[in-house]
Amino acid sequence: MTIAVDLRNFVQPDRVHRDLYEDPQIFEMEMERLFRRAWTYAGHVSQVPKIGDFLCTTIGTQPLVMTRHTDGKVYVLHNRCGHRGVKVINTEQGNAKLLRCMFHGWTFRANGELAGLTQPEGYPPDFNPDPVACGMPKVARMEIYHGFVFVSLSADGPDFKDYFGGVLSSLDDLIAYAPEGEVEITGGLLRYGYPGNWKFQADNSCDMYHVVYSHESSRKGNTQYIRRPGDTGGIPFFDKSNKVVTFDASGLWAFENGHGWEGAVVQSHENTSKWYQEYEARLEKQHGKERTRQILTRKRHNTIFYPNLVIQDLNMHVRLIRPHRVDLTEILIYPIKLKGAPEEMFIESIRMLNTTNSAASMTQADDVEAFIRGHAGLRTKDANPWVLIARGDGTETPDPAYERGYRTFGSSELLLRKQYQSWLNLMTHGA
Amino acid sequence: MDAKISNVTPPDLAPLDELLRVRELERFVTRELELLDGRQFEAWSDLFTDDGVYWAPSRVDQEDSQTELSLIYDDRELREMRFLRLRHPRVHAQIPHHRTTHLVGNFVIDEIDEESGQIGFHCHFIMHDYRPDWDQRTFSGRYDYRVVRDSSSFKIKFKKATVINCDAMHFPISIPF
Repeated sequence: MTIAVDLRNFVQPDRVHRDLYEDPQIFEMEMERLFRRAWTYAGHVSQVPKIGDFLCTTIGTQPLVMTRHTDGKVYVLHNRCGHRGVKVINTEQGNAKLLRCMFHGWTFRANGELAGLTQPEGYPPDFNPDPVACGMPKVARMEIYHGFVFVSLSADGPDFKDYFGGVLSSLDDLIAYAPEGEVEITGGLLRYGYPGNWKFQADNSCDMYHVVYSHESSRKGNTQYIRRPGDTGGIPFFDKSNKVVTFDASGLWAFENGHGWEGAVVQSHENTSKWYQEYEARLEKQHGKERTRQILTRKRHNTIFYPNLVIQDLNMHVRLIRPHRVDLTEILIYPIKLKGAPEEMFIESIRMLNTTNSAASMTQADDVEAFIRGHAGLRTKDANPWVLIARGDGTETPDPAYERGYRTFGSSELLLRKQYQSWLNLMTHGA
Repeated sequence: MDAKISNVTPPDLAPLDELLRVRELERFVTRELELLDGRQFEAWSDLFTDDGVYWAPSRVDQEDSQTELSLIYDDRELREMRFLRLRHPRVHAQIPHHRTTHLVGNFVIDEIDEESGQIGFHCHFIMHDYRPDWDQRTFSGRYDYRVVRDSSSFKIKFKKATVINCDAMHFPISIPF
C-alpha cells in the first residue's frame, strides 16, 4: 500500500477530497477499517422466521449469512467453510437442516458450529475438529434492535448504543406505526446499481437541497406527483413566496458518528381511502386517540444509520447500501410491512415503491444520474480537488430531545459533515 | 388482472388458421414496439384498454404483482405519470436519452375466448438499449399478452414482460421492455 497520505488532510470541516470517492486504495481501506469497525445492518429477523431459515448478505465486500438456529435465535455467520474457506451458502435465501459445503461435504449447524467433517479417518490423531474453530465463524459482535440485526465485524469498536445514540428513536417510532407494534420485511426486493462510489448514496440519503433540482421532472405545478390514490397532497417543492424550499422548515437532525434524518416533508399521511380509516381505528384501539395522533404525526422522511442502512418513512422501505468496488455500488430495497395494518395499505406502498425505487423508477433514476455524473465529474484531477459540504455550517443547535442530536434547517449539509467526521474516526482509529 | 395465461393448453388450430392469427398478432406487436422505439409513448399507452396493465416483474417466477415489488407495474395513471416525466425538458436521467430496438418472435397462441374477443398469447423478445457514454445493454425474455379485439386491431388488457435477469442489479432503465 502506498497510502502514505494522511487521511486527516482529506477531510476538512467543510470539504472532503475527491480521492475519497475515486481512489481504489482508499476503498480497500474502507472495507478493512470502516465497514468492520462500524455497526452495519445485516438484515431483519422477520427474513428468517423459521428454524433453519437463512439469508445471505454482504457487509462491505465480505459474504455473510443470517440464520435461525434450533435454539430459536438469529445468528450472523461469515459465509465461508471452516475447511478451505469456500463460500458455503450460494443461494440468496432458503431453509436447511444443516449448511453443507459443496467442496468436500463439511456440514455446519445454523449457529456456525461444525456438525461433521467427511472421512474423518484421514486426519492425523492430533487433529482437533473443534466445532467452533472449524466452524463457520460468527461475526465478532451482533445486536438486535426491534428486529433489525446490526453487526460489527471487529471485536473492538464503539459500543452499539454509543455508536447510534439518539438515532435509534427512528426505529422506536417506526414500529409504533404498526398496530401490533412490530414490522416485518416482506414483499420481495428491488435492486439497482450505479457506476460510482457508495458514498454518493450515503451523502444523498438525507439531502433536502437536491430535491427541487434533481427531481424537477417529477414535479407537477408546485408539488411532486401525488403518490397514492386518496392522498390529500403531493410533496410541496416551494413555499408561497415561490423562493424558499419548503423542506428547510421541516428540518434536519444529525448525530455523532454520521447518523441522522430529514424532518418529515409530509407530516400527515392522511388518505381518503377506506383502509386509512381502518388503520387509524386499529391504532386508536391499541393506543387511544391522543397517542394515535402523536404516532401519526410523522417526524421523519429518511433516516440514515451510517454507513449502510437508510429507512424511509414515506414509501416505507429499508434501503441497503452495498459497495462492490470504488466505482460500483448496489442498492437493495426491501418493503417494510406494518404488522396489524390493513393489507391495502401495504399494497399501496408496494405500488408506489415500484415507481420510486426500482431500476425503472421515475424518481430514483434522477438521484442515480447525479451519482453517475458525480463519478464522471470527479475524474477531474488537475484542478480543484475538493467536494464542498459547507452549507448551513454553524447553524446547528443541540436538540435535547435526542441523545447527542443536533437540529438545523432542512437543506443544510450538517449531516455530511457528521458523516465525514465519522468516516475519519473509523478510518484512522489506532493509526 | 394478472391473467394467468401461461399454463393453458394451446387451442387446437388448423395450421393455416394459426398462421393467419399469429400473423395478425405479430403485426400488432411489431407496431406496438415501434411506438416505444420511436418514443411515441402516449400512443403506446393508448394501445392499452382503460384498465390495461403493463407489468415487468422483479423475479422470473413472480406471480403476485400486488404484494411483491416489481420493476414496473403501471396502470393507466402510472403510465401517464411516467411519460409526463419523460417529456419534461429537465428529465436529467434522459439527457441524453436512451435509444432502443425491440425484436420479437416465437409467437404462441395460448387461449382464444371467442365470446369476449380476448386472446392470450406469448412471444419472446430482445431489446437493445443504448445511452451515449454507456455500454449497450441487452434485455431479453418473454412477453405474455392478453389482448381484446378492437375494430380492426387489438387493445392490450395485460402485458407482462419477464426479463431473464430481472432480479439482477441494473443501472437505470427508462424505456419499457
